[in-house]
Amino acid sequence: MKTTMIDLKWIPRALGLGLLAFAIFGPLTNLVLWAVAEKWYFPHALPLQYGFSYWVSVFSPRGNATTSLTMSVLIACLTVIFSIGLAVPAGYALARLKLPFRGAILLVLLIPQAFPNLPVYVNIARLFYQLGLNGTVVGVVLVHVTHGLVYAVWIATAAFSAIDRELEEAARSMGASAFKTFCDVTLPIAAPGLLASAIFVFLESLDEFTGTYFVGAPDISTLPLLLYTAGSGGNYQIASITALILLVPSIAFMIVIERFLKADVLSKVGR
Amino acid sequence: MPIPLLGLLLVMPALVIVLILFIVPLVSSITGAFAVDGLFGFANFQKAFELYSSDIVFTIVIVSLSAVLIGLLSVAIGGYLTLGSNPRAVAILRWLYRWPLFVPFIVVGQILRTFLAKNGLMNSLLMQADILTPMQTTSFLDWRGIVIAFVWKQTPFVTLLLAGAMASLDRSMIESARNLGASRLRILIEIILPQVLPTLLVGLILSFVTMMSVLSVPLMINAQSPTMITASMAFRINAYGDYGVANALGVISLLTTSLVGWVYLRQTMREHR
Amino acid sequence: MKTLAYSLLALGLTTSPLMAEDLTVMTAGDQNMVDYINDYLGPLFEKQNPGVKVRAVGTGPGDAGSQKILERFDAQAGANVATWDADVAVVHEKFVGPMVEKKYLAKYRDQIESGKLVTRENAKMALGTNVDGYVMPMFNSQTALAYNPALVATPPKSYDELVAWAKANPKQFGYNGIKGGASGVSFVMGWIYAFAGDGDKLQQGPFEASEAEKWAPAFAKLKDFTTNATLTPGNAGTLDMLSRGEIAIGPVWVDMFYSWKATGKLPPDMKLVLPAPGMPGQPMHYTIPEKAPHKDLAEKFVNLATSPEVQAKGIVERFNWYPGIDAQHVQAKLDKATWEKLFTDIGPADLAKNGKAFPIAPYNKAILEAYERQVGN
Repeated sequence: MKTTMIDLKWIPRALGLGLLAFAIFGPLTNLVLWAVAEKWYFPHALPLQYGFSYWVSVFSPRGNATTSLTMSVLIACLTVIFSIGLAVPAGYALARLKLPFRGAILLVLLIPQAFPNLPVYVNIARLFYQLGLNGTVVGVVLVHVTHGLVYAVWIATAAFSAIDRELEEAARSMGASAFKTFCDVTLPIAAPGLLASAIFVFLESLDEFTGTYFVGAPDISTLPLLLYTAGSGGNYQIASITALILLVPSIAFMIVIERFLKADVLSKVGR
Repeated sequence: MPIPLLGLLLVMPALVIVLILFIVPLVSSITGAFAVDGLFGFANFQKAFELYSSDIVFTIVIVSLSAVLIGLLSVAIGGYLTLGSNPRAVAILRWLYRWPLFVPFIVVGQILRTFLAKNGLMNSLLMQADILTPMQTTSFLDWRGIVIAFVWKQTPFVTLLLAGAMASLDRSMIESARNLGASRLRILIEIILPQVLPTLLVGLILSFVTMMSVLSVPLMINAQSPTMITASMAFRINAYGDYGVANALGVISLLTTSLVGWVYLRQTMREHR
Repeated sequence: MKTLAYSLLALGLTTSPLMAEDLTVMTAGDQNMVDYINDYLGPLFEKQNPGVKVRAVGTGPGDAGSQKILERFDAQAGANVATWDADVAVVHEKFVGPMVEKKYLAKYRDQIESGKLVTRENAKMALGTNVDGYVMPMFNSQTALAYNPALVATPPKSYDELVAWAKANPKQFGYNGIKGGASGVSFVMGWIYAFAGDGDKLQQGPFEASEAEKWAPAFAKLKDFTTNATLTPGNAGTLDMLSRGEIAIGPVWVDMFYSWKATGKLPPDMKLVLPAPGMPGQPMHYTIPEKAPHKDLAEKFVNLATSPEVQAKGIVERFNWYPGIDAQHVQAKLDKATWEKLFTDIGPADLAKNGKAFPIAPYNKAILEAYERQVGN
């Protein structure tokens, strides 16, 4: 009797999960199919001819795909380190300390995402030329950081605000210093939120192309630049292949973060 | 050290970076929106409203609708991840929901364009499975396409944040509610949601802001007029070299998002005190 | 990993924007423009000039791509940078005028050998601005109507016929409005040439603001026509819908049309027709910034790129694009079959008669804005 009950419960579950899987993997299938399609047009529901000739052209020695990929990942990692490094103290202060103009500060940090950047890039590029940062990794990282900080600081602030103050106060009353309390109590509880924001900052940096073009090109070439040219011109094969390549570092980063997260959270259990 | 000073000191590095590297360049854009032949004036705004008022309304409606759908879906997914009784189903869901997060917006535009079109992959598959006949197929490449693209891409973003917040909640209250026989839906709405509401709102605001400034999705999916503000800004610049009206549209977009951000902040500030 | 990161970082910090012998070519346009430089032109140039490395940077298709190059120049001019970071820039016709007016470009055509091979009017004037000497056309492109012969038995030979056809076949004609790229813009310009009179005045000037009043009936007609048409998302969007059979006919760039065919995204039996009284086309131009880091090499590069051999092998044979320099020099380098492939769908006579220019810049803007007010809203 009991077993049939469980089986019955799987019907709505499977239905729900199946629908979700279709909604998520349907478009992704499209991506994968385009990456290996040599010929695909109406009225054929699926590609007429499969092959890897576009992979060959993406990875041709002059295409610089591997260098661009390394550069993209390097820039994304630096952007994450820099952004999170700035966001942890800022988020803590915004969430916990008495701060004048708290709302205004959060709004200012929101602006780089809130003003559609198209007309601003020319001014940003001019500023970076004046500062001599054009064509440098630092320049590109800084541009990505201005956008990444939105996610990092807002999410860090939310993560720190959600923590029960009593926990910190308990630690303080047992004689721990403010800094030690922060490191041992506050930071671990806020960690899931901070790490999630690290993922977003990483992805934001990995997907960014306009700023990279204005500040980085021609010396710095990242994969999204290629993706953008191919994607907006309707070169579906090249765009799909590039997008698939970009999935690798994104997912790898996610897995690393999750491992780190699990180990960390587990180590706190039972203490 | 007095606490406000310490706080400012901690915030300063992040603030300085954004101020110097973004707000300073932005200032000339914003003043440009108010400049008419070198003088101060509102002609750019007038023109923006004259030509693009329907785009402005369209953008706000589309983005708000998407945000609501994203909120509902992410609460549902996050809730199941936290309260789901079958570990296998939870594991499948956890594995499943994140994928769109890793697909850049421009690729989202591309794959949904070829997926949602009248003769696109979705309808082809449904036809082959005999679920649809060729006469019943429709194209979703209009406002619905934009909403689908936004929801598809941003739901995992909010869910990831929300599920993290839900996971770090104190389980004891949930367990005791369950022991008292409360339904899972009730636990989700009455116990979990109030506690993770700040995280949900932050996620939704960040999504709102992101969606407001995405260019590739409306360009690749929706061709009809009205379209989104960003597409009109791009058109103003690329076709006319007209930064004035483009910047005016940018200011309108900025004011909209700031309003949303401010409403949220006012709410949390009240709690903050 | 860490050392790698540091060394890369150090490299990034120390690299000055001008590496000794890197020739930087910025190009607007599709991925195939970047590929063309990377796979064909670059290696050829490097073989002739040992020690030089050609770098191609694609800035994206359409006007947006050229706009980004212009903005880059604006930024460098605004920051008073002594030596800019592009040696050669490939941009759409529309952006050459502003670049010349802002004094960003070098007047180099007389210095290079292939300079005398260009006599076509559009190498001297770009939408009403005198650019004589500052540009060399890479190729000429043309818009035309692409159609699926299975769905369109007798393709419309003129705008009038098209209007009748679209009425009989609702929603089967698709174009991308004016916000989604220049193929739709081109269709609209052709519409004005067809239904609002003075095409010559629009293409050559002089500009008179009062001219705009004559367009109202044509736009009313276009608004009516558009309700019966399908709107497509962008230049690529039109081709996309053609490829899936969602529309039967629509305006496209001839060069894009061929590259979509070549990459297997369009059925091979698709055809082109250029309706009377004509649709606009435009050249892509090679330009050299006045402050280019390697001006001599840049001139050499453009000279190679516009030599009859390269125009024949690279532009015509490889891509099926119309050459930039005068046709007779290129034709001499090719066998008859290859040359005639250029005119499979649109014959030389039709091309000469119906291949128009875009209206001069002020009319261009006025027409677009009139469209926004009278058709788009």
